[in-house]
Amino acid sequence: MDRILYAPLRLSLLTLVIAAGPLLAQKSQPAKINAAAFQVAMIQSDEIKLPAEFRIALYENLIRQLQKNGFSPVYRDGDRNAKSIAGLVILRSTIRGFKAGSERARQVTTFSGTTSIAVHCQFTSPDGTSLLERDMNGKVRFFGGNLKATYDFAKKATLVARENFSVSGEKQ
Amino acid sequence: MTSRSTTVLVGIALLFAWLVIPFAKAQPLSTPVKAVQLTGLAGVKDNARGTLRVENGQLQFVHGKANSDLSAASIQDVVTGDDSRESVGKTIGLMGMAAPYGGGRVLSLFRTKIDTLTVEYRDPDGGQHGVIFTMPVGTADVIKKELVAQGAHTTATGEPTPAVDPSSTSPNNKEQK
Repeated sequence: MDRILYAPLRLSLLTLVIAAGPLLAQKSQPAKINAAAFQVAMIQSDEIKLPAEFRIALYENLIRQLQKNGFSPVYRDGDRNAKSIAGLVILRSTIRGFKAGSERARQVTTFSGTTSIAVHCQFTSPDGTSLLERDMNGKVRFFGGNLKATYDFAKKATLVARENFSVSGEKQ
Repeated sequence: MTSRSTTVLVGIALLFAWLVIPFAKAQPLSTPVKAVQLTGLAGVKDNARGTLRVENGQLQFVHGKANSDLSAASIQDVVTGDDSRESVGKTIGLMGMAAPYGGGRVLSLFRTKIDTLTVEYRDPDGGQHGVIFTMPVGTADVIKKELVAQGAHTTATGEPTPAVDPSSTSPNNKEQK
């Protein structure tokens, strides 16, 4: 009899514990940095010789992915309109490693020919103060051209931006 | 008599050269080149096919009925490179993957060399943009020279950037850390 009486009570307690989990996890997440807007600086590759098309594809994909993920406005390198924005966050990316790979090798063998790009990303304020730094990479292992690695990197960088920054104009 | 005929021959040669050289110089300027815009051109979808030409100080990309122009003066850098793409079409390539015993992979061995043309330019607000085109081998350098002649800037004046794809022989294929 007792077992029947206590069953709903146990069930409700269990539900409460399950529901509280995500809420507690949310509380433990670090607070997001507020950013009025983003500016993407041109990719730097002083130490590593990176083909021009990779540098441009990285830059253009970064801008596109940030815009796609609700960050608005996203300013380009050198845009004069960004100067007047208070709370602007500048994303600076420096190439740390590059392996060109081979699309042909990927298609023929599926285990070789990987293209990979290692990038050091630094989110800074306009005065150069570092807000967040991460090392990320872009890879293409199986299908697609070598430039697809730049798209992979852009998606990862945007994910980091989403996790750590909140933009006032961000579309949720 | 001999000197007179020599003078006449030299005269004819000079006249011929005067007539032919300007045409030879001007010829490539109006020749459109088939190109694929991989990414970066505002208002144009990625991988859009069209024709590229340099005319009146503008880099023109004509795709379908639309036309995108870039002023040569706004171009800060033009770089050529080379790459390769599959000779067989995407559909046949995908169908080939279903072939038994990995037979379709043979198709991947047939690749065509292509040129890449990377253009960096600034918009009226000063914002930096980059566009990547691919085109038949040997044509990117002609477009680059025409752009530079019409006011575009370039940092790379020598050889094109090294190949990205071809099978693991170039030093660029080794990971640099």
